Amino acid sequence: MRGERRKRDGRIEWRRWDPTKSKVAAALQRTKGGPSELLPQTGSTCLYLGASSGGTVSHIHDIVCGAGNHHGGQVVAVEISPRMMRDLAALAEGRNGLVPVLGDARCPEMVAPFIRGRADWIHQDLSIADQAETFVRMAVAFLAPGGVGLLSLKAASERASDGDDDSRFAKAERILGESELEVVERIDLAGLEEQHVVFRCALGAL
Amino acid sequence: MRSGWAVKIHYDWRLSRVLDEDGNVLDVILWDARRTPSTLAERLSMIQAGRLLPETRTLLERFPEATPDPLGAMSDPNWPEPEEGEANLLQEATTILAKRGVADAAGNIDRRLDMLVSATAELRSAWTTNEARCVEWAGLFITEADLDNQRTMIPLAIADAPNIDGAATALGVAPPAHAPTEIEWAALKSHASGVVTSSQRLQEHEDAIREIASDYIPSLSALMGPLGAAKLVVLAGGRERLARMPSGSLQVLGAHAAMAAHRRGAPPPKHGAILFSMPQVSHSPRWVRGKIARFLAGKASIAVRVDHFDGVPWDQEQIDGINGEVEAIKAKFPKPPKRG
Repeated sequence: MRGERRKRDGRIEWRRWDPTKSKVAAALQRTKGGPSELLPQTGSTCLYLGASSGGTVSHIHDIVCGAGNHHGGQVVAVEISPRMMRDLAALAEGRNGLVPVLGDARCPEMVAPFIRGRADWIHQDLSIADQAETFVRMAVAFLAPGGVGLLSLKAASERASDGDDDSRFAKAERILGESELEVVERIDLAGLEEQHVVFRCALGAL
Repeated sequence: MRSGWAVKIHYDWRLSRVLDEDGNVLDVILWDARRTPSTLAERLSMIQAGRLLPETRTLLERFPEATPDPLGAMSDPNWPEPEEGEANLLQEATTILAKRGVADAAGNIDRRLDMLVSATAELRSAWTTNEARCVEWAGLFITEADLDNQRTMIPLAIADAPNIDGAATALGVAPPAHAPTEIEWAALKSHASGVVTSSQRLQEHEDAIREIASDYIPSLSALMGPLGAAKLVVLAGGRERLARMPSGSLQVLGAHAAMAAHRRGAPPPKHGAILFSMPQVSHSPRWVRGKIARFLAGKASIAVRVDHFDGVPWDQEQIDGINGEVEAIKAKFPKPPKRG
């Protein structure tokens, strides 16, 4: 990542995960539960929708796959913009287990051919309207039972007719609540990432 | 006899399977061709595009009542685990696909127009500032020059002259009372050459836009000129989006601030920047501009749909007809409305 601070300690390299640049890192700081509950397990299958140039994805990959993918994990990173995919594809070349997918993160069929099974961890970070509906569709299609679903909701991307930020967040929370998902925690990122809320969800009991 | 509706085909890039409603495997075909990253990339892009793999198609011929389920394999508890080397093969294939997708972006005319139109807009804004500065700077010394009528000649004269007296002579006026120092003249001269070069670059940029727009959006270009047509496409975020846009939205493209004010209660804008740049709108009396803008936006909307959905491009006859109707609107409202 650009301007990233690193520290070397023998064979181990530490990378600073900046909470003002990564919504997942911000959510880790702001969650009221245990931060590790927000993160994927080592060696698990992860789906990242709206990967951009792969800043956060690289940290998730560190956790899930490790160098050379010695943990045997898979991180499927979906991004629609060719400009961002350029950087993401370059990142994936040095990171075994990171699968870059150029396509629309709103279509399950676009993603399904690349993922090895249901995902234990999903993060969606898309700047489009109807983020909550999209997340429900994707999480229902891909999330494994007991898996963690994170939705980074950007208020400014929702339609202006939905009212102010608070009512947009409330609308999203209602959509999530009425779906097959269950909202475990609503994490407000104010101070680190403005107008953003992260919803931590799980597949509810059907 | 079993009813066919529950028979499914689950598949991924490695194999396709027919399953009955109890999950029993009825038939299976493995992908047994030589596995290379590029052949796998082909298969993945087939699945992504919603097309069926050859194995899936063969199974569908054997079981015509079965339904292929693209998401089925993922949740199938009996689906085979990835074998040794398969993860690496997938990794290489996805890198090929991602790079191909990045390369294919250059085939998209919308993206190319966006680069050209944005580069032209930035160049023009820099050019206006520099050209004005150049004329004022030269005018400070050459007091006899006519800064309005000789405006276009001034940067050329400075750029080509050996000194300020030579520039004055080239402009046909008396030499100045005060001359710049040698190094000051060098700065003025290179500033003027910059203006001359950027005029040429601007010309080249606009020629490129004209060529692409006349081919990509011929009807819209005929109606409102290729430069304005290209700007509309870029503002809308692509030809398809412009073609699917209501004409009321097209009418106010380029009037972002006015639309934002309208949402807070101000009166709606009559037209965006692009429509206003059409002489039919900007050279009409203000009380008919809204009517003409609305009419032209409707026509522009039809024109871009003709272009996008493979219609027959408009010829001059249709454009003349539209301009005739604009004149009719103006003739119908010769006087400003009475305020009451």
